[in-house]
Amino acid sequence: MRKTSFSAVVLAVIALAALPGALASPATRAADPGITSTTILLGGTAPLTGPAAAYASVARGAKAYFDSVNAKGGVAGRKIQYKYLDDGYDPAQTVQDTRQLVEQDKAFAIFNTLGTEVNLSIRDYLNAHKIPQLFAASGATTFGRDVAQYPWTIGFQPSYQAEGWVLGQYLAKTKKRGKVGVLFQNDDYGKDLLGGFKRGLQSSGVKVVAAQPYEVTASDVSSQVAKLKASHAGIFAIFATPKFAIQAYVFANRLGWRPAVIDNAVSAASNIMLLASEGGKNKAVEGTVALNFLKDPTDERWKKDPGVRTYRAIMSKYAKGANVNDVYHVYGMAVAYETVSLFKRLGANPTRAGLMAKARSLNDPSNPFLLPGIAVKTGPGDGFPIQQGQLQRWTKGRWAPFGGIWTSKKL
Amino acid sequence: MLPLAAFADFMQQIVSGLASGGIYAALALALVIIHRSTGVINFAQGEMATLCTYIAWTLTVNHGWSYWPAFVVTLAFSFLFGVGTHRVVIRPVEGGNVLRIVIVTIGLLIAVNGFVTWQWSGEQRQLESPFPSNTIDVGGVAISVQDIGTIAVTIGIVVLLWGLFRFTKVGLALRAAAVNPAEARLVGVRVTWMLALGWGLAATLGAVAGMLTAPSVGLDPNMMAPILIYAFAAAVLGGIDSPLGAVVGGLLLGVLLNVVSYLSQYHGFGWFTEELRLPLALGIILVVLLVKPSGLFGHAEVKRV
Repeated sequence: MRKTSFSAVVLAVIALAALPGALASPATRAADPGITSTTILLGGTAPLTGPAAAYASVARGAKAYFDSVNAKGGVAGRKIQYKYLDDGYDPAQTVQDTRQLVEQDKAFAIFNTLGTEVNLSIRDYLNAHKIPQLFAASGATTFGRDVAQYPWTIGFQPSYQAEGWVLGQYLAKTKKRGKVGVLFQNDDYGKDLLGGFKRGLQSSGVKVVAAQPYEVTASDVSSQVAKLKASHAGIFAIFATPKFAIQAYVFANRLGWRPAVIDNAVSAASNIMLLASEGGKNKAVEGTVALNFLKDPTDERWKKDPGVRTYRAIMSKYAKGANVNDVYHVYGMAVAYETVSLFKRLGANPTRAGLMAKARSLNDPSNPFLLPGIAVKTGPGDGFPIQQGQLQRWTKGRWAPFGGIWTSKKL
Repeated sequence: MLPLAAFADFMQQIVSGLASGGIYAALALALVIIHRSTGVINFAQGEMATLCTYIAWTLTVNHGWSYWPAFVVTLAFSFLFGVGTHRVVIRPVEGGNVLRIVIVTIGLLIAVNGFVTWQWSGEQRQLESPFPSNTIDVGGVAISVQDIGTIAVTIGIVVLLWGLFRFTKVGLALRAAAVNPAEARLVGVRVTWMLALGWGLAATLGAVAGMLTAPSVGLDPNMMAPILIYAFAAAVLGGIDSPLGAVVGGLLLGVLLNVVSYLSQYHGFGWFTEELRLPLALGIILVVLLVKPSGLFGHAEVKRV
């Protein structure tokens, strides 16, 4: 046991030595805060209220998974306590909450905090204090790319640029020529998707002929959709959060516009697609293509799948009253599962530095909550845990996967 | 000049602006009614409308009701909700500085929003629409039946309200109670109940606005938050005490924002980007209040000193 811990420390030192500014890290310090002989405290924030409250399920799913692990004795005799506070998706609140979790509650690591701006707001603080910002729930590229500058931060999901690139490559490879109209959120998230998408289309016959931004404060996107239709685009790419993605379908249908649609993963959950279908009245939804990496609990294919069965069992026991069909819970469980296996590898005396070292050398080919074939992997020069996805097409009220697994490495 | 081929696109932007404007107008109407019948600006109007819309959603989706019975029950609920809110929350702070009521309504906004999120979660929902989903094509411009319906209902309400205030005793009493509560009481108007009635009416209109809005923008606890500011701009532009003004203001605002944003792709308007949509609405509030505080259709406030 001592040996594992020693090698973890060595690994940590090697990892940190490679990073300028991190040399002074006291990696040999005895015990980090937030850890006792019986507990590990993880802290985080989630949008339980406010404009992104739909994503609160991510934290609930993760908590349910930890509770189920704790009921079986936890990891190496320690129970994982996951305390999440409501930040209302407001970065200012996130900073306050995170300081409270670190300074008063003495959290071992900040885990699964959700949102791009939200995670950016606490990144400097956590890195300055050498506190792990573990599996930040955002696809902004910076969380996987800027490892040298922010060694204590790591993301989880595929980056938005990678997702955009795959969607662009798919069009480039399947269509000789085409005109694309893009609706995108006017922030890092929307711009990353659009940037990756354009790179994926490079030197193909498919061109972006119009790109319309919207603000998160917008009341609706009808004007943008009308402009995109007017651009004579035959393909409509929706890089928008669920509320605005549903609107995009609704307004496209009202304008009598029938483009081929590309949707982004954050808005492609089955329940969102069904809402956009307006009970079958909206024909613009049929045939939509999107990238996915999670097992959708409503998908018939996974009815007997052990992963989804576990998911359902845990939900019914530890998240009573929650909507089991909400795929964001699955995301929460996938990230909690990876965290548990991380702590298993850390052995008897986990340290913050050790945790980051292990997080930088992930290699899990079979997270039961992710689609088969999708690996969680990091290494030197690779700060992105998930970089793979499966394309799927919305056909008659459900997603049908097609083609193989797409991998994006260079983004 | 606009290229000729762009004319249909331009008209499409006008139509789409009218559709957005219809949504602003519906909520602006509720703001105007409460101001006209109680003299108060209710910042919680949007959130109250959202709560009532969730009642309709629960009845249709969870309990399988068909649309119209759910519609009627929702209106009845929202009326009682409005009256109850006045009796329980507003009445204790009435009579003093108007700022107290304003602050209470802001508190109410936060409380109702929190309650809705707690009760129905932040998940995205969709409310069915009473109108068909098809589209009429007029010379290459698509006009959706849903949008026509929204504007028609809003105008219908204005006519009803005009009749109420103009021809009925209740309407007169409502106005009297708002304008001069002390003297109204002297001539036998039951002022407290008139104010409660005003809150009930406004909440009912809010519910209608919510049910017209949800099929277009989607139902979630924050549905009305972005719309409220545009509704304020619409109400101020039209004249804060004029129902007709609220509707004209809403439609004008919707069209204006779209036209400015459309022209920006043509003539040296490149600096106008989507970020400026909300500031433009706020700018309109400011300019109207500075230049013509009574708005387009309102009555200038005259006070004897």
